[in-house]
Amino acid sequence: MTAENAPQAMYRTKEGLGVWEHRGKVAAVGVGHSPTARRWDERPETSVGAWSILALRRAIEDAGVSPDQVDGLVIVPVTTTGAFWPDDKPLPIEAINAFNQTSDPLDGIAKLSDEWLLKNMPELTNIKYSAYGPVCMSNALNVASQAVGDGLTHTCLVLKAWHNLEGRYYQGGKNAANSTDGTSAIKNIWGAPASYGTALQFAEYCRKYGKTHDMMAPFMSNSRRNGLMFPEGYWAQHRPEELTSEDYQLARWIAKPANLFDNDIPITVAAAYLFTTAERAKDMKQKPVYIMNHASSETKPRSMTPTLDEVEADTARTGRMIYEGAGITADDLSFENMYDGFTLFHQFHLEGLGYRGIKFGEALDFYQGDITIEGPNPVSPSGGNIGSGRSRFWMHTDCIQQLQGRAGPRQVTGVKPEIAVSGGPMPLGGNYTVWSATPD
Amino acid sequence: MVKQGVEPDELTRPFWQAANESRLVIQNCNTCDRLQHPPEPICGQCGLRETLEWVQMSGKGKIYNYGVVHDCPVSLLQDEQPFNVAVIMLDEDPGIQMYSHLPGVAVDEVPVGGNVEIVFEVSANGQKIPEWKVVE
Amino acid sequence: MDMVRTVRKKGFLTGSCSDRPMSTQRAIWNQHGIEFDFVCYKHMLPELKKNFDADIYCHVGDRDDLDRKYALRAGFEFLWPDEAVENDWFSSAL
Repeated sequence: MTAENAPQAMYRTKEGLGVWEHRGKVAAVGVGHSPTARRWDERPETSVGAWSILALRRAIEDAGVSPDQVDGLVIVPVTTTGAFWPDDKPLPIEAINAFNQTSDPLDGIAKLSDEWLLKNMPELTNIKYSAYGPVCMSNALNVASQAVGDGLTHTCLVLKAWHNLEGRYYQGGKNAANSTDGTSAIKNIWGAPASYGTALQFAEYCRKYGKTHDMMAPFMSNSRRNGLMFPEGYWAQHRPEELTSEDYQLARWIAKPANLFDNDIPITVAAAYLFTTAERAKDMKQKPVYIMNHASSETKPRSMTPTLDEVEADTARTGRMIYEGAGITADDLSFENMYDGFTLFHQFHLEGLGYRGIKFGEALDFYQGDITIEGPNPVSPSGGNIGSGRSRFWMHTDCIQQLQGRAGPRQVTGVKPEIAVSGGPMPLGGNYTVWSATPD
Repeated sequence: MVKQGVEPDELTRPFWQAANESRLVIQNCNTCDRLQHPPEPICGQCGLRETLEWVQMSGKGKIYNYGVVHDCPVSLLQDEQPFNVAVIMLDEDPGIQMYSHLPGVAVDEVPVGGNVEIVFEVSANGQKIPEWKVVE
Repeated sequence: MDMVRTVRKKGFLTGSCSDRPMSTQRAIWNQHGIEFDFVCYKHMLPELKKNFDADIYCHVGDRDDLDRKYALRAGFEFLWPDEAVENDWFSSAL
């Protein structure tokens, strides 16, 4: 079986579609996480493939099903955005040979196929549906939600894994060469790092609304605090360090106005969820968390990088799609878990949602209030990537755990966890899921 | 500041050839009458390929926004840090952006909204690169 | 840490310069029971140099692209860890 990218028709990308036809009929039940590490140590048992298998098995066990009940698999085949196996480095033969291989020697090492997983998980004997949700977990969740709703699969595993290698992220390859191809050169030869685009939007935002970078400090401290209560996360496991305002405000710039801590830390990790029908979920081990809607934006910037106007227009449109398909309004949200890989765009997501009535230009002021899990306006209770390292899925795990009452010390107490939204990555484009503790 | 050299590919060859002649050309769809940059194989609006042409620009623009790069992924530029990377909007269409190091402008002293004119710099392999200089 | 204790006994001023949060750097020193004269981020070395009047300024680090670059740019001498171990400053012989 070789999967392909899910067809475009599976994504809900337009306004005016009405309530999602499978609202409340699909549920997340099981959650499985691998350990985390800063970089791969080249041992077979810690490879991205090995940790993917671990996460999948944990999700199956957490849901209380047997592997042969699983009939669907949606994964993200790309396991990095900036750490690539160098062309001149010998392949890690021991790690490759420790598993059943596909024709690509880096499968299970620096990328992941459904074929590799199924060759190495003999217990999955009944997979009838397999698809890729490209880019990140947010995308894969949308595919799995629609697939279960459409009856393509009734018990579906969803997986995203990340690897990280020695060396600095995004360095090496084309960036280390004395010349590059014409298409890449249009953007890359000016040397802007990954956070540059977001930094530009934030700079324009501050000029337009009269705000400052220092106003981000409470959000940062809150996110790291929440992340330290996420035992599955990198900081909690390896470096349980708080982030004070002084720590944040004095950090070195990467692409001013984005500093070191505005950029998430790349790690190696895998997470998996088990989705099923609302009917089947009743007999599974954990409390079901119902999917009320999924929404996607395919908006691209007009030119080299999104302007603030484009960001504000698209986040507002995304907010409208999220609410329309779920049949809710902003007032119904118990909390939000939007993406924060570059911290400086989390506020754009909040403003687009109109979370707690925030309007454009008001989110940084909102951060100065009580945004803790104990308060009435929790912001990023997962702690996101800032709290736990670069995964793009802490937000989803947290939504499930909060609504199941399994978030431990991170459990929101200032609000009753009933409905939440998570997704990303960027303010322009991205995939979003609305979760609920009840099916209606 | 010497940028990486450029090996033109099929999609971008007209852009880089024009740069070597100190001309700025941008893709235009002659059905939609719509400029687009970066270059794409098809028009971003109508999806057609055969309607794309390359149109010469005046080489005049404005500074829309900027950031200061302190930690750059491109090895060749790392000794130049920190440096400005500005976004230029073309006078012909402010929706069309280009990047610039703004030669001659002090780090973090970029006049947002200021007028710029195009200049061409030689890169590491001799390919000319469009750059922008502030004008009064 | 023992190397740091050694040079402190000889009257050196010591501290850390890292991408680790400054509050964490302080916590690490406290955890090891070692007094420190400063903690800072990598880009703060020029300011650090102004704040202390010393005969020699030296940064011991393990990253060429970050530690060494920032150190040399700020006018600090730079030692790799294996060079530091060989240096008389860190010799336990007084």
